Amino acid sequence: MEMMIIKAITNPIFWFALLAFGVVLLFVGKKMNILNNTAYAAMVSVVIVVAYFHIVDHYLMEMQGLDYWYLFRK
Amino acid sequence: MGRQNGKKIWSIMALCAMIGFLLLPVATSLNALASGGGEAPPAPAVKAEGEKKDEAKVEKGRDVYYKTEGIVSGAPAPKTVDGPRDYPRYNFESRVLLWFANQQHLYYGSFVLAVPIFCMIIEFMGVVTKDKAMAKKYDQLAYDFIKISLTAYSLTAILGGILIFTFLTLYPAFFGYLSSIFRPVMHIYALMFVAESGTLYIYYYGWDKMKEGFLKWIHLSMSVILNVIGTLLMMLANSWIGFMMSPAGVDEQGRFLGNIWHVIHTALWNPLNVHRILGNMAFGGGVVAAYAAYRFLSAKTDEERAHYDWMGYIAMALAVAFLIPLPFAGYWLMREVYAYRQQMGITLMGGLLAWLFIIQATMIGILFLSTNYYLWQALGRMRGAEKYQRYIKYLVFVLVCGFLIFITPHTMVMTPAELKAMGGQQHPVLGNYGVMSAKNGGINVIITTTVLSFIWYMRGNKEPMVPWKNFGNIFMGAFFGFAYVNIIWLAVYGYYIPANVRVGLSVPQVATTLSCLFFMTALNGFMLKGAKQMGPIEWGKISVRSQYAIIMLATAFTWMMGLMGYIRSSVRLFWHVNEIMRDNSPWAYTHTVGFAANMISFNVLFFWISILFVFWLGTLGAKKVPVNVKAHVPGRVPEPAHGH
Repeated sequence: MEMMIIKAITNPIFWFALLAFGVVLLFVGKKMNILNNTAYAAMVSVVIVVAYFHIVDHYLMEMQGLDYWYLFRK
Repeated sequence: MGRQNGKKIWSIMALCAMIGFLLLPVATSLNALASGGGEAPPAPAVKAEGEKKDEAKVEKGRDVYYKTEGIVSGAPAPKTVDGPRDYPRYNFESRVLLWFANQQHLYYGSFVLAVPIFCMIIEFMGVVTKDKAMAKKYDQLAYDFIKISLTAYSLTAILGGILIFTFLTLYPAFFGYLSSIFRPVMHIYALMFVAESGTLYIYYYGWDKMKEGFLKWIHLSMSVILNVIGTLLMMLANSWIGFMMSPAGVDEQGRFLGNIWHVIHTALWNPLNVHRILGNMAFGGGVVAAYAAYRFLSAKTDEERAHYDWMGYIAMALAVAFLIPLPFAGYWLMREVYAYRQQMGITLMGGLLAWLFIIQATMIGILFLSTNYYLWQALGRMRGAEKYQRYIKYLVFVLVCGFLIFITPHTMVMTPAELKAMGGQQHPVLGNYGVMSAKNGGINVIITTTVLSFIWYMRGNKEPMVPWKNFGNIFMGAFFGFAYVNIIWLAVYGYYIPANVRVGLSVPQVATTLSCLFFMTALNGFMLKGAKQMGPIEWGKISVRSQYAIIMLATAFTWMMGLMGYIRSSVRLFWHVNEIMRDNSPWAYTHTVGFAANMISFNVLFFWISILFVFWLGTLGAKKVPVNVKAHVPGRVPEPAHGH
């Protein structure tokens, strides 16, 4: 189970999926007029921002031929 | 009408002349470049007889950097000896004299290269602004800027002459060698200088004649050409220092191999170019801001104070815009230094010169602290900005934490007793902060906080009115919050992974900071579209302390430029040209940190005294014109205090 979680979070597709989920939530919120609800806005923001920074970390390390998830894989 | 057409024709002719000026060095260099930039090859007729014998005489060498083969086209680097032939001297340390001449020339050179770029930006803002009153004010501001740089330009040329005479008098062998290597482009440099001078004078004196319509665009185009020439000049000068640090295009004996592009395009040339352009811009902005602060402090009327407050703010904003990417350009330069010669990088950041980097970190910290302090003070001239005042203490805390980590040294100079008491060279707790992983985190936290201060300043007196403002504010808060978390996480993560992986973490850290800068500034801009103004910006009603912060900022820039120049030059240790031409003068040793700091301080003091003289000269020709300041009108900026 633990291995599966690690495998999932070290895969950039997981973070892209999370980012896409956040964007979908953003549009749903806009359509349902709940985007200005503080709790909903905070949730959507956190999902998008966390996914974004993980993608940045992952790809900018990969660009240099390095493994961002080194410690987790070990 | 006819007169107008005549003006147009003359303007177009002037522009064409400038383009001609710009292309002239290129045209004259074509011949030299085509022949590889070296001496002309022997004519075919000459080698008709005994061709094989001649070919046997052609000696080939291997490029020390590019590893390509080339025909030896120059003499080897001279092996100098300490004596009046190679190192003639006065009863004074020649290196210090050269240091002084070089530094002063560089200060003024940086200033006169940076200010026309500001002029171009501000003049362009004036041309595209639809509000005619604002357009006029921007135009006046651009004119004020170029006026300051004009007197400085003459001084730059004089200092350039002094520098060449100093080289010729004190280091003739070295200067002769460097001139022989760069001979194919020496005349280009001289012609570029002529082109720069000609363009600058036409640009300045043509200001009033070309102030409207099509002619204004011609005038603006001239500023573009002026800056292209200026930047090319700087890049050519950079190629000399690049060659001295990381020579290319020569063989092991220092003999030119006929390819001038290899000599120019050394390993460190491009990082130096980028670092210097940004540094010059930040420095130029700082000096102009200090000029405005000086005028603000000496102003007798509210109108003058309002004008110079505005001028200082614009110059400061431009300086900070270039200051923010400057550390990243510095990292790139250091990375290339390590890639070129690892030992050189270690000498810089982990060896002989490491303590100077601690001083540099302190100066960088001071720059950002001054910038933030100015922005917080500037909130005071806006109604509605009070809401941010209570949060400033948290920013101070974050900044101070980042600053203290950034300046923590890895090891300390200690007596044996101190060493024993501490249990080693590293402090058991603070020593952990003396590594790059922590320092990268520290500086990125500082820069991100500066971006946050700037965003608060931008929305100081404004209330977003977009329907999604609540979401926008929360998203912005989350973005900044998680940016801090990511930066600190990457810094901590670096302690747990091997050095070869850790070294790459600085890139996502920088990307996080830049994401805040670009995305959050853009988001803020969208949110402020059609925003409600809580009150006007009351130009001139800013604390006097803020102006001292600007002067502090400019002085710190100047000091840091001197310091970094010294570090960059010292890293060659006992070489004139790294690993090619040895420095055999009695001064081929590295000065103590104390001596270097005193020398840098003297250079800074001299520069500021001389530039104050330039400022004073600039005020002599200014005529007072009636001003009509509406400082209390929301969004309005005051009329300039001086006419052309």
